[in-house]
Parts: sequence; C-alpha cells; structure tokens
Amino acid sequence: MRSLDVDVVVIGGGSTGVGVVRDVAMRGYKAVLVDRVDLAQGTSGRFHGLLHSGGRYVVSDPNSARECAEENVIITRIQAGAVETTGGLFVTGPDDDPEFGDKFLAGAAANGVAATEISIAEALAREPRLNPRIKRAVAVQDGSVDGWQLVWTAAQSAKEYGAEILTYHKVTSIERDGDTVSAVMCHDAKTGEDVRIGCHFVLNCAGAWAGEIAAMAGCHDVQVVPGRGIMVAMNHRLVNSVVNRMIYPSDGDIIVPVHTVCIIGTTDVKVPDPDHLPIPHDEVQQMFDAGEVLVPGFRNARALHVWAGARPLVKDSRVGAGDTRHMSRGMSVMDHTERDGLKGLLTISGGKLTTYRLMAEHIVNAMEEQLGTPHPCRTADEVCPSGTTKDATYVPENYHVTHRLHDREHDRMQDPILCECELLSRRMFTDKLAELPNASLDDLRRQLRLGMGPCQGGFCTVRATGVAHEGGTVDTERATGLLRLFLKHRWLGLWPILYGDQVRQTALDNWIFSGTLDVEHLPEGAEVV
Amino acid sequence: MFEPDSYEHDLLNRASLDHCVKCTICETQCPVAAVTPLFSGPKYVGPQAERFRHGASVDYSLDYCSSCGICTNVCPQGVHIAELNSVARAAMKKDHMPLRDQLISRTTFMGMAMTPVAPIANAVLKFKPARIAVEKVVGIHRDAAMPTAHTQTLVGWLRGRTAPKPGSRGKLIFFHGCAQNYFEVETGVKTIEVLEHLGFEVIVPKQGCCGLPLQSNGIFDTARVWVRKLVAQLREAPRDLPIISCSTSCGGMLKHEANEILGVKDADLLEVGGRMRDICEFLLEMYDNGELDTSDWLENELTVPYHAPCQLRGQNIGTPAVQLLELVPGITVVESGAYCCGIAGTYGLKKEKYEVAMKVGKPVFDKIVAVNEGIAACDSETCRWQIEQATSVPTVHPIAFIHQAMGLSKLPVTTGS
Amino acid sequence: MTNTVVIGAGLSGLVAAIRLARGGRTVTLLTKGLGGLQLSQGTIDVLGYAPERVDAPIDAIASLPATHPYRVLAPAAIAAGIAYAQELLGDRLVGNADRNVLLPTAVGALRPTCLVPPSMTAGVVTGGIRYVLVGFRQLKDFYPKLCAGNLERQTTPAGDPITARGIILDLPAIEDMADSSALAYARALDDPSYRAKLAAALKPLLQDGEVVGLPAILGHRDAGAHRHLEELLEHAVFEVPLPPPGVPGIRLNEALTALAKQAGVRIVAGAKVVGFESAGGKVISVGQATAGRIRQYAADAFVYAPGGFESGALTMDSYGTVTETIFGLPLHGLGPDLVTAGDPSDQALFRVGVGVDASMRVVDPAGHIPYSNLYAAGGILAGATRWTEKSGEGIALASAVAAADSILKGA
Repeated sequence: MRSLDVDVVVIGGGSTGVGVVRDVAMRGYKAVLVDRVDLAQGTSGRFHGLLHSGGRYVVSDPNSARECAEENVIITRIQAGAVETTGGLFVTGPDDDPEFGDKFLAGAAANGVAATEISIAEALAREPRLNPRIKRAVAVQDGSVDGWQLVWTAAQSAKEYGAEILTYHKVTSIERDGDTVSAVMCHDAKTGEDVRIGCHFVLNCAGAWAGEIAAMAGCHDVQVVPGRGIMVAMNHRLVNSVVNRMIYPSDGDIIVPVHTVCIIGTTDVKVPDPDHLPIPHDEVQQMFDAGEVLVPGFRNARALHVWAGARPLVKDSRVGAGDTRHMSRGMSVMDHTERDGLKGLLTISGGKLTTYRLMAEHIVNAMEEQLGTPHPCRTADEVCPSGTTKDATYVPENYHVTHRLHDREHDRMQDPILCECELLSRRMFTDKLAELPNASLDDLRRQLRLGMGPCQGGFCTVRATGVAHEGGTVDTERATGLLRLFLKHRWLGLWPILYGDQVRQTALDNWIFSGTLDVEHLPEGAEVV
Repeated sequence: MFEPDSYEHDLLNRASLDHCVKCTICETQCPVAAVTPLFSGPKYVGPQAERFRHGASVDYSLDYCSSCGICTNVCPQGVHIAELNSVARAAMKKDHMPLRDQLISRTTFMGMAMTPVAPIANAVLKFKPARIAVEKVVGIHRDAAMPTAHTQTLVGWLRGRTAPKPGSRGKLIFFHGCAQNYFEVETGVKTIEVLEHLGFEVIVPKQGCCGLPLQSNGIFDTARVWVRKLVAQLREAPRDLPIISCSTSCGGMLKHEANEILGVKDADLLEVGGRMRDICEFLLEMYDNGELDTSDWLENELTVPYHAPCQLRGQNIGTPAVQLLELVPGITVVESGAYCCGIAGTYGLKKEKYEVAMKVGKPVFDKIVAVNEGIAACDSETCRWQIEQATSVPTVHPIAFIHQAMGLSKLPVTTGS
Repeated sequence: MTNTVVIGAGLSGLVAAIRLARGGRTVTLLTKGLGGLQLSQGTIDVLGYAPERVDAPIDAIASLPATHPYRVLAPAAIAAGIAYAQELLGDRLVGNADRNVLLPTAVGALRPTCLVPPSMTAGVVTGGIRYVLVGFRQLKDFYPKLCAGNLERQTTPAGDPITARGIILDLPAIEDMADSSALAYARALDDPSYRAKLAAALKPLLQDGEVVGLPAILGHRDAGAHRHLEELLEHAVFEVPLPPPGVPGIRLNEALTALAKQAGVRIVAGAKVVGFESAGGKVISVGQATAGRIRQYAADAFVYAPGGFESGALTMDSYGTVTETIFGLPLHGLGPDLVTAGDPSDQALFRVGVGVDASMRVVDPAGHIPYSNLYAAGGILAGATRWTEKSGEGIALASAVAAADSILKGA
C-alpha cells in the first residue's frame, strides 16, 4: 500500500476537477487529483466540443448566457491550443418561427453576447453546405474546444504548481477523523496497488458520480440527475463554424466542427445510472433528421462515431422530474458541514464546460471560506501550461484545423506518419507514450486523436501497438491486449451509426484484422486497463 | 454557375472524400508518387488532407500532382481524388500564379503567335541558348518537349482545299482542338479524311480553346470563360450530331473535366459532352455495330507500341485504339504497360517538374524503344511530343494507321517489329 | 460484338472472364476499380475455420450451413475452381486443395490457408522451425518483434514449440525517405543491386538454420527476386502478408489481368455500372457511366461479380435498408439486428447478399429467378463471412468457374 499526504484531494478528473486542482495548487495548497479512469472520460470527454458564446441561453437561461460569454474569452486566451475560434451562426430553419430571432437578438444584447444579423447570402457564402432555405442568420462568437486538450493542459498547469494527477485511481472510501475528513482511499487500476491519501479537505467534483462519492463519506441523498445525450461525429467538416438552430433549445440543434470532424447533437433523457448510457436507435435517427434540416444531404455524408454523455444536473424544484434540459445549468456547491456534520468536504454539481474555470473559482473560494485562509484566484491571468515558455509576451496561437497538415508538410520525410487519417507522426506518439508509459491506446488516443479518423483504427492500430512494443516498455502480452481492447472500444461507437461508407470501411478493416492478420486467433493478451 | 466555394462545387468533390476507406489503391497506381517522395501521394493529398483544409493553403507539395487523373480512375469507391487535388491547387495558386503558367496555358495564343513565323519559331525552340534563356526567365525546362509550328493551320487547309462531295452517311462535327489546328495539322487532316472516306460529311465550326491548360494550371476563371465560348461555338452546328475529337485531352475536357473540376454545370456543356466521341471510340463502336467494313483494309505487318494516355483512361471507354488498330490485318499492338508519359499536359514543361516527369515517363519510353524503334502510337498530342523528345521514335495518332489501311497515305517510317 | 459482359475485376470477375473468353465467348469486362486482389494477401483460401481450425478444407465443407455458397454449389465445383486457378497461375501457386497450411501473420497469429505463392512456402509452420522476422525502420506496417513474440507463445499443431526472434534493419526503400509503403520496398527489390544491399545488411545478423521472414515486399514485377535473395542470404526466405497495399495480391492481379487481355477480354475500367435494361425476364444491357454519357453494353449473358459490402455493390443506408446497387436484386439473409455490439468481424449484415442456384443464376429467397441470363459470383454471394472463415478466394474461384461453365453450356 502506497501512502501520500496532501492538503486537498480533488475527486474527479473532468473539467471541474482539473479546474479546481489547478486553482487549489496555484493558491499554494499541496493537492492531488484522482479519477477512476483517464481524465475527461465522464461528461467532459463526451460533450459537443462547443465553447459557448452564450447565444444558446440568451432566452432560456440569461445568467448562463452572460457567464459563457465572459468565460469564452478567457478560455480562448489561457488555453489557446485547445480552442478553435471558428465563430458560429444561429440560423432559422425553413419551418422554424422567424420571430424567435428577435427574442434572440434582444436577449443577446441584454446579456453581453455578441450577435450580428447577416444576410442569407453571406451565411451561405460562409457555409456552402448550409440549407439554402434558411430564413434568418445571426453571427456569434462560438468556438470549438477539444475537451481532452482543455483538461490535460489545465492538469499540466496544476502539475507545474506541484499538484499530482493520479488517473486510474478509483476512490474506495473516504475516511474521517471525528467530524473532519482525514483521508481518501484509492485503488490503482494500472498497478493493482491500494493507495492511502491523507488530507484535510476533499473537493468532490465527480460530476454525474458525485452522489456516489458523497455517499462514501457517509453523506447520502446527494441528488445528481444524469441527463443522457448522444452525439454523432461526421467524417469531415460539413461546416466550419458552429451552426445552431435559432429556436428554443431542443434536440439535435447544433453542429460543431471539432478538429477534422463535425459533431451533431444532442438529446436529453434522464437516466438512473451514469455508467449505463445506451444509444437508442430512434435517437440516432433523430440526429440524422436534425442534421438534414441544417445541412441537406446530411444522410449521404459519412457518420463516423457516436457516443453518449451524461450531464450532471443538480435537482431543481422549478422543473419536472423527467425534463432535464430546462434544469438550471448553474452549479451548486454543497457544504456537508451542516447537512451531514462533516467538515472538509464540498460537493459540486451541475455546471458546463465553458464556465469550468469560473466554477472552480467559486468552489475554491468556498473551500477557503471554510478553512479561513483566503487567497486571490489567478487562474484567468495565466496561460496553461505556463511552463511552455518563460516569455511573458508569448501569445499562444489558437488551434486551427490546418495545423497538423502544415506540420507534416515539414517533417513527413523524416518522421513516419502512424495515424494517416489524423496526421499523427511517430514522434508525437512516442513522446506521449514516454510521458504515460502505462497508457492504453485509448488513453493515448484521447490526447493524440489516434484512430479517430475515417479508418477508425483500421491501419493505425497495428502501427501504434508495434511501436509501443518496440519501445521496450510494453511486452508482447500487454501489446496484444492493447490491440484487442482498442478495437473493441472503437466498435462500441461504430455499430449504432454504421451505414453507407462506414460499412465499407468496417468490411475493409475486417479484411485486415480478421482476414490478413487473424487477430482473433492470437494467443491471449494481458488484461489491459 | 459554379464557383469554387459554391454549395454545388463543394458537394461535388469535397463530399466525395467521405468514400475514402484508405485502401491505398490510388497510391499504388500514382505514377508520380512511384518515382519521387516529393509528392506524398493521391490518398494523402486528396481525401486525407482535404479534411484538414480551411482557408490558406499549407501543403505546397500538392503541386507535384501532375493531374493525370489515374487516381480517380482506379479508386474503387468513387472518390474524386484528382479533382480534389486540382481544386486545392487552384486555391493554393490563386494569389501567386507564375507568369510561366499563364503563358503555357494559352495554347491558342502560342499557336497564333508562332504560326505566321513558324520556321523561325521552330528554330528558336530548338536553339539551345534560347531555351536556356527561356528556362531562366520563364521556367520552362530547356529540354522539355515543345510543339512544332506549321505555316498552315488546319483551318487554313480546310479553306484552301476543294471540299469533297458529301457522302451519304450523314454529318458529323469535328472538334480539332488547338493542337490539331496549329501544331499537328496532319493528325486533324487524316481524321477528317478517314471520316470522309467512310462517307461522312464533316462540319468544322469556328472554334477556340477548351481551356484545359488553364484549368490544369489552376487558372479557373479564365478556363470557364473559354470553355463556355467553345461550347457555344460547337452548338452553332446542328445539335443532333456526334462531335468527333482526335485530341484525347480536349475531348475529355468537354466530356467531363469542365464539369468535375471547374464545376461548370451548364446544360449546354453537359449535352455537348454527351455527344463528344474520341475518334477511335467512334470507329470501334461503328465496328461493334457492324457498320465498319474493314474487308478492303491494306495489310501492314507491324508491331506497334501503343501508349494509352492518362486522360484517355479518365474517359472510361477502355482502350479502343488497341482493338481498332488490330482490325488492320498484320498489326499487333503492344501496350506501354504504364499510365503516364510524364508530360501530363503542361506539367513536364516546368523546370522544377521536368526531372520528375522524365522519371514518370521512363517505363513508357523504355517499353516503346524495346518494342519498335521505328514507330509508336498514342492518342494525345502532348504525349506524342514527349515520347518523341525522349525516345526519338516517331509517334503518331492511331488514326494514321487507319488512314494508311484505307489507302489514303503511307506512313513515313514503318520499320518492322 | 460482345456477347458476354462481366461486371467486376476481382478474382471472380477476372477468372470468369478468362474462362468465358477461352471457351469462345466474346467478353467485355466492366469495372470501376482494379479489384480486391490489390488489397489481398496473395494466397488462395479455401476454408480455414468452420469455426474451429480446418486441416482438410474440402472435407469440412459438409459441416457448413445449407445457405453457405459452398453448399449451394455442386460439390465438385470447389475443387474445379481451385484446379482452374492452378491451371491459370501455374507455378505462381503452390499447394494442394486437400490440405491447409499454417503461415504466421504479421502480428504473429497462425493462419490457415491453402495455396500460397512460392515466396511464402518456407514460412509454413512445421516442427522445429526457427524464425527470424526482419522488419525495416522505414516500413511502418510490420513489427517483427511483436510477430516473433506472439509466435513464441504458441506451438505447432503437433505441439512443438516455435522459436522466433525479430530484428529491424535501418534500410530505406528510397534514399532519405523515412516512410515507405510495402509496394515501394517491393519496387526497390525488383532491382538486383538493392537486393544485394539488403543481403549485405542482413546476412551478418542471421543464425544458422533460421528461416528468414521478411514482410511481403519480395519484388513487384521481378519474379526472380525471392530466389535471388535466398541465394544471396544462403537462407530460406519467405514473405509475411501485410495490410494493404498487398503486394502478393497485386502480383496475382497483374498476372490475371494480362491473361484476360491475352484471351481477348476487352476491359473497360474506371467507371461504375449504374443501370440496366431488361425485357422478357432477361437483362438486355447494362449502362456504364463513362465520361459524359452512360454507355450501354448489350450481351446475351451477364456475370455479376462486383464484390460485397467492401466494394459498395451492397450497401446499407442510414435507415438501415440494405440494397444491391445495380439491379436491385432480392437479397438473402435480411432480418432484424443486422449490426450489433459484439464482434465487428461477425455481424449478420455481412452475410447478406445475392442468392444463387447451383447454376449460379441469381435467385430470390423463394427460389425464383428474376433474370434468366444473370449470374453472380464471388463476394456478392450471401451466406459466408469470408474473412473469418478464410474462404474468400475459394468461393470466388468456385462460383466464377461454375458461372462461366453454365454460360458456356448454353443453359
């Protein structure tokens, strides 16, 4: 059993948790973050990729709208590499009520959300695939964000300030000494070890799982409602800006370009268990139909991957039990001192990715109120990770979709390309593997986009496995296990949306893995985490 | 009216990238990727890179694509690879089009300029110091195959001759293309004479350039203007007649490239393209329908090395010249077995591409020389000039053998196999 | 004037076209692509798993379900297909239809197949074999140490251990190029001086008695490359199939295409067949989308060998509707839940296809014949998951020969 002693343990490695651990570390506390799996595998890795301008909420939730507008600007600056300033459009569909546009513009003006009406011709010139029958168009400052880049760069910044980031550490119990939290017990899934982390404060940022974590500390009935939504990534950017339908927020009304794909979503169905998120067939069809409204010919485009995420929504007496969409997306901070007689535990619920930094600021302020040791919050001031450059005048560049094409143009003769679909070089892969020697191929995929292009691992899985094996840190059993697990996981996001071109791809990939390589008859691999 | 960023144009080519399953077949057939690592290959430059493109171009190596079109042709899934590359290249060159590319794209102007002074122009083009100067200033490689000007154009020949009595077989329209008018008049003459011998009345409307060299150099706007003008000129003739071409590339431009690359979707262009026939395609179809009597064709014991131009393959009509030539008693055809002679229109003229072009064409050159140093056949004029320049083997359009078989002429060089 | 049209230039299309042309028909072959052989590993599978590993493929046929193409064909048809491949390809194929052999795959599995190119025979798994797998730093599709590692974790069918090790050479196919495909290496190995360079780098690293396993790059067009390398190295050498580009498959494709042209088959490549005309229960012509127009090809008989889902002849749209894209043929194997979670290589969708009777005429699930002169062969046939069973080439050959013979008999 391993032992650590810190001031603060942050439970949950989504955007909330990393935002919190960064702020905690920057304010001078010794901190550790734990997540039972990889960072951003909960809601933060399964969202839409949207960095809100706030436009979506100007009518339905003005508070949120204002916060989004402000935080959007901050995130675009401090985590530039994770953000693409695509801009966005709100468009009135052919059968939508054009008068909503007036409410929209009014709400935007009232809440500091930049919004300018443009002509249909201008909208179509900007987005050639947009439905030519749209009735109105408004330009906003939506951007797209890579959730994993966001979370990992914040985590790296936290590490610069001395925090430890422990992925694959599942919390097994939270201990108390009298009426104060004293330690968090974890199990390290990669090594099989148990770990005891002594601390005097726990920040429960476990999102949809926050209730389960609170219960481990003896604090029951923390009601977090998982609202399940599905999203489908389409093989290429049918649009290069975020395209929203200008209506009261509804299902499937946004398409977001993220890296080389565009993502349509989403739905909103209350579910009992965040670990069981089915992808119903009719919701998939609903997304395709919704896509057709914004981009005619959507169903002839290639659907690449589907996933479901669960929004963690705090229970709010204003809305009915089954309708989670219109619950407040604001957050709540629950202090367990009075509620449960336990000092040193705060449970955070609700919130959205765009305002994660602000949420974290509120949470750490609340913690310091309890501790009586206030410090200023500087998370908005500093770029993450700051260690990349000491030059104060450095202005990092926002992500642009052409980056990797540009980079490979310069190094492809010297550095082989492992994942051709996503232009991932061998050096990029081996560098990340050196950082994370225990990583599974999915852990690497999240940060590198390995296998996330049209062939869905058809060609790059063996290359990645082979390179990892060649490096010496991964033996044959583990390599074989990694290969199998990666392919198994890819299929989970393929089969519910498999049609057209992706059927042909699957057939070719089967010819490769089954026909040529006979992977199913390899000797047993290791159990890989 | 299609513009490059229009909804329709986007749909046409960019959307087809979705069909790519990364099978690598295009890469295995690309004649340029096979000989130089400077070109990353059609899969890379086409459907793969396109997912990353937005705004300013960042992948300049795509300029090594020769636009031979073999990739689109062999793709089993229907990705418009070559078209994607062409459009990306046009976008890349939009703001800095080299003067050279402007010059070599305007074949008619070159023709019009050179014809009145043909002997001098030809002499200059063969004069090494002049060519070196041209290479330094304009960027056309000193050894690149340049066309030969003639004192009389095809149009001049048509005007000057006594037109034969029209036959009873009906009328046809002849599309000569710039090359047959200015530079290889003989090919046009023979094509017309073969058709007249078969009893057709050949109508040759006034006609300009199809714009293909402009298109392959990325000068799309002007190419659209020229091709539309040509379409209107061809439609001056009766509109129910087939249009016969002996210039593979130009015929292909009207058949499909103006639509698929320039995005011109005018009904007029589409219907002209629907009537366009390559001369060998036309004659072989006549034969298949029992309408071509070859019983009096003169024997010619000869093994003919034949190269099917890449832009012929792109028309998806097979290789009709092979079957047609073998209708001549005694002729055996041996195909070059390679896709591209390297000239690829104007690609091989450019000083920075010349070496690549010669490597691309080497298998063609070697095969032709090995089969018969005396004569070779190829449907496309720029390919013929390239092959002759590289091998010194006289290279003619397949129609020349048919012309001879019909007793209308004798080929100058007919060394046996 | 053509009297027979073959659609598809894969193994079944090419073989059917050759047999028909040699049998006296005038054949036009229409194809969009270069056929699936370009991607294949270049061996002839007959039946590898049913579902356990099969040693004697012909004997195992009887255990397959009645809907399997092998069961629909006359029993002698499978052997006839293999025999015809051997006749056409001569010494390009080694092996015996009665017995499978085991070859190592690129990741180290032991894979059964039936006929193999001579460049692979030295790799067949036998007792006491000692492999040295050789990869190249610049070839990213082969990892010899992973291959060797997995081989050593297995035994031969008789239970003997397998000895294997892996080494990596730093030898580019093209100078200064860090990333080359298998075909680039194969082209380099067509050059005897490159072969000498490879041998010079490799020979000192070899141990006595080892069999040298290189990736499938042993020459593109030079048939002597493999033997020359063996002479230079003084070791037995074999090549291991890789993901596409499949060089051994490309060699077979080029050989069969040349045979087709020699037999007088007219090949029109590069465009899809997009439609057809029919009358009186027969197909009259098919339309190919050539540049600028759709050109009709009329014939008495049509062999439809376009491949299955991988080629797009069979497709499933976003509503889940499966169609055959040219003739709209009635399909076999349809039902609910064609695609499910579980094993991607074992999905009911991929057993959907066109059904045929023993004469290879297309039939609907009730046994009715929609067009009396339309025959089907190869991957479009319903009832087999060819990559899992390792049966693709056997089905292609048997059905192509059977279809061609039906037409030649004038049935």
